[in-house]
Amino acid sequence: MDYALMAKTLSMGVAGVNGFPVHVEVFATGGIPGMEIIGLPDASVRESRDRVSAAVINSGRQMLPRRITVNLAPADMKKEGPSFDLPIAVGVLTGMRELLPSPDYDPEDTVLFGELSLDGQVRPINGALPMVISARECGYKSVILPADNAREVACIEGMRILPASTLAQVIRHIEGTEEIVPQQQLSYGDLCQERIITADMSRIRGQQAARRALEVAAAGGHNMLMIGVPGSGKTMLARCLPGILPPMTLEESLETTRIHSISGRLAPGSGLMVIRPFSAPHHSTSVISLIGGGPNAKPGEVSLAHNGVLFLDELPEFSRAALEALRQPLEDGVVSISRIRRQAQYQSSFMLVAAMNPCPCGYFGSSTRVCRCTPNEIRKYLDRISGPLLDRIDLQIEVDAVPVKEINASVLCESSAQVALRVAAARKIQQERYRKEPFFCNAQLSNDALRRYCTMSPDAEALLSAAVEAMHLSMRAYSRILKTARTVADLDHAEIIASAHVAEAVQYRELDQKYWR
Amino acid sequence: MATEKTVFDAWLAGAELPYDLLIPLLHEFSGADAVFSAWKKREEHPLFKAVPPACRKRMNETASEESLRGYRDLAQTHGIQSVTILEEAFPHCLRDLPDPPGVLFFRGNQQVLKAEKPAAMVGSRSASWNGLKAAERIAEGLSRAGVTVISGLALGIDAASHKGCLKGGSPTLAVMGGGLDKVYPPQNEGLMNDILKAGGLLISEYAPGVRPSSYHFPYRNRIISGLADAVILMEAKVRSGSMTTVGHALRQGKEVFAYPGDPVSPLSEANRLLLREGARYFTEAKDVLEDMNWLDNLSYVGQNIECSPKTVPDDPSERAVYLALEKGDLGFDELIAATGLTSSALMSTLTVMQIRKTVEILPGKRYQLVRK
Repeated sequence: MDYALMAKTLSMGVAGVNGFPVHVEVFATGGIPGMEIIGLPDASVRESRDRVSAAVINSGRQMLPRRITVNLAPADMKKEGPSFDLPIAVGVLTGMRELLPSPDYDPEDTVLFGELSLDGQVRPINGALPMVISARECGYKSVILPADNAREVACIEGMRILPASTLAQVIRHIEGTEEIVPQQQLSYGDLCQERIITADMSRIRGQQAARRALEVAAAGGHNMLMIGVPGSGKTMLARCLPGILPPMTLEESLETTRIHSISGRLAPGSGLMVIRPFSAPHHSTSVISLIGGGPNAKPGEVSLAHNGVLFLDELPEFSRAALEALRQPLEDGVVSISRIRRQAQYQSSFMLVAAMNPCPCGYFGSSTRVCRCTPNEIRKYLDRISGPLLDRIDLQIEVDAVPVKEINASVLCESSAQVALRVAAARKIQQERYRKEPFFCNAQLSNDALRRYCTMSPDAEALLSAAVEAMHLSMRAYSRILKTARTVADLDHAEIIASAHVAEAVQYRELDQKYWR
Repeated sequence: MATEKTVFDAWLAGAELPYDLLIPLLHEFSGADAVFSAWKKREEHPLFKAVPPACRKRMNETASEESLRGYRDLAQTHGIQSVTILEEAFPHCLRDLPDPPGVLFFRGNQQVLKAEKPAAMVGSRSASWNGLKAAERIAEGLSRAGVTVISGLALGIDAASHKGCLKGGSPTLAVMGGGLDKVYPPQNEGLMNDILKAGGLLISEYAPGVRPSSYHFPYRNRIISGLADAVILMEAKVRSGSMTTVGHALRQGKEVFAYPGDPVSPLSEANRLLLREGARYFTEAKDVLEDMNWLDNLSYVGQNIECSPKTVPDDPSERAVYLALEKGDLGFDELIAATGLTSSALMSTLTVMQIRKTVEILPGKRYQLVRK
C-alpha cells in the first residue's frame, strides 16, 4: 500500500572534532497528521519540523497530511544543531512521494546537511569541515551542503562538493532537472596566496629588544612573557606573532579549522584558515571557557589557539584556577575534557604569549611616571603567577614605553615578511635536526634532549657559568637559557652554540634576576 | 633580677602614659616596681589622679599576674632588657629631648649606644632604585670609617642603610615602632637577625608585645635623630616620615645632610627643598665624614674607595656601550641608536658587561654603568 512509505537520506553529526554518519529514516503513514523526530535530538533538532514544513511549502512543494516519523540513527548518539534540516526535508519529501529521485542520484552515497530558513534558503552551519572529512573517511563520494560552507571544505580532495543555496535547488538536483555545479577544488597553496597579514611588524616603532625577542620566540616556538608599563605596546607586539610564524601546513590548517568550525568561529564563506589563530581571552575568563567544557564539552580558548598564539593580557589578573589549568595543555598540547554526557579530546598546542604590568599601578621602573605601589603590593601582585607556570615560559622580556618622538618618526622598520623568512629558515634547521624525534622545535626540548642537541663552544660554556654566578640564576634558568641559545644559534645558522648566542639568551631571563628573586 | 625589673618597666611603658606624667611618676617613686606596688595598693597619689582613663584601664588590665608573666616570657625569650630615665645607663643624648622616653627597651649589644660617631640615615620606603643603591653605598662607606648607622628598620632606604652598614663592618642600630619581640615589617626578619648577629642593637620605647601603630613611627623618629649626631636624608617627599625625623633633628640642633638625588624625580623633592634651605650637600660617605670631623682614620682616606680610575673596555662593542652610557642611563632603543649595534649584538654585549659588573640594569629596562 502506498500509504506507508519509507525514505532514507544520509547526513553527518559531530562529536568532539569528529563527524559521524547519521542515517535519517523517514516513515510516512496515515493517521493524525504531524511529524515526530526521534533518535536523541536536542531542542534545535526537534524544532526542525517547523522549519522543514515551512521551507517545503515555500519551495513550491506540498506538505501532505501524513503522520511522519523521522528517526536519526544511530539512536544512542546525541544529535544537536540545525544541520539535519536539509536531510530531513529531503527525506520527508521523498517519503511523501513529493520528490522522486532520478536514477542518477544515489541516496546511499550523498551526504546532506544544512540549516533551512522558513523561506527555503539553505543557511551555513557549524562543523562543516569535520563532517566532510569524516564523510570522506567513511567512503562517501559526494556532499550537498550550504553554499556558505563550500569554501571551508573546498580543499578536501576526492569529494564532489555540491553547494546549495535553496531547498528548491536541492530538489531539482535530486530530481535530475537541474544539476548543482560542483564547487571547484581549491588548493591550499592558492588559499595561502590570498593571506593578508593585518598586524605587521613594520608598524611597530622602536622596541628593538622586544622585536628581536618576538623573532626568537617565533623561531623556536618558545612561550614568552612581556612585562611593561601600560601602553608600551605589549598587545601590538603579540598580535604580530601569527604573521611571522611559518604558514600553517595543510594538516595544521585542517586541525585548526576543524576546531574553529565546530565552535562557529568561522565567518560564512571563509575557507580553510591560512593565518595562525590569535586567541586573546579577557582576564575575567572562566576556567571552562579557557580550557573547554560545559555540558557539551565544547573546545575552549586554548584549543581555538591550536597551532597559533594564545595571548593572555594582564596575566596576574587571571584567576589562579585558570592559570593553573593552563599547565596541562602547555605540557601535552592536548586537553581531555570529560563530562557526564560527553568526552572529548581537543588539540591545544599553542604558543603562550603573556603580558603584565610590573606592579599593580603599572609604573614600577617607568622612566616617565612614578609608581605608587608599596613593595608589599608589588610582591603580592607578582606572586599571583605560580613558579610552575613561569617555568614553562622561556622568554621574559621587559618592554618600556616608546617616546612620542619615536612613534611619530617616519622610518619604516623591518616588515613581518622579512622576519618571517629568517624564522622559517630557523624552523627548517630544527625540523631537519629533530626528524627522528617526536618533537619539532627547540621549545619542546626535554632536559635529556637538551644535552644531546645543545653543544656549546668552550667559551660559551664559560660565559654561561659566569652569568649564572654573577646574576644568581637558578639551574632551571640555566636550561631555559640553553634552550633559547639553541634558537638564537639556529637563527644564525650555527650548529655549535657560540658565546654570543648564550650572551643574547641571558638577556631574555632578566626578570629572573630582578623581579622574582 | 634584671628581668623582674624589665617586667615592671614593661607594665609601666605598656600604659603609654604621656611623657610629662610618666617621668614625674618614675622620679616620685624612683622606679617602675615602686609605681607598680603603689598602684596595686590603690594608694591615693595626686599623680595617679592625673592618669588619663585610657591609660588607667591599660594599667589595671596589665597588672594581673598573668599579663606580668606574659611580659616575663617575652623578655626572656627574646633577651629584651630595659632602662628607665632614672638610671645611669639611659642614653644621655635622649635625656635632653623635650619629650624624652621614660623607659627604653633593648635587644642586642648595648655597647652600640656608646658609639662615637652615630649617624642616622632616613628615607622613603618606596625609594628609587638609584636611591636604594646610594643608601647602601654610603652606609657602607660610613660604616668602614667606624660610623654607627641608625635607622628605623623599615623597607626601602632604612633597610638599604642597615644592609650597607653591616657590609662595612660596623654595628648598626635600629629604632623600632613597636615591641621588640616582633619584626615590623615581617620581610625584614632576616635583616633583623643579621643586625643582632653582627653585634648591633634594637631599641624601642614600646613595651614587648605592643603592636606597631601608624602614630608610633613619626613619634619614635625623635629617638632616631636624638641618638645621632648627623641625620642623613637619602630620598624623601616633602610630606613624609623622613621629614619628621629631619624636623626633630633641626629642633635638637643636629647636623642635617641631604643627598642630591635625581634633580627632577618627585621621590627626592624633600632633598631639593633641604638643600635649597642650606642642608649639607654630600654625594659620598667621605663628604659626611669630612663635615662631621670624623676623618680620624687616616688609612681610610688613603684607600679612597669612592673613585677608581676609569677603565674603558678594549672590545669595540663594549667600548661603544661604555662611552654611550657615560653620559647617563639609557634604554635599549637609545643604546641601539647610540652604538649602531644590532639588537642581538647589543644583547650579547650587555650580558658580557653585566657579568663583568661594568653595566647594571635598572627596572624599566634601562642600563647604566656600575659606580665603582
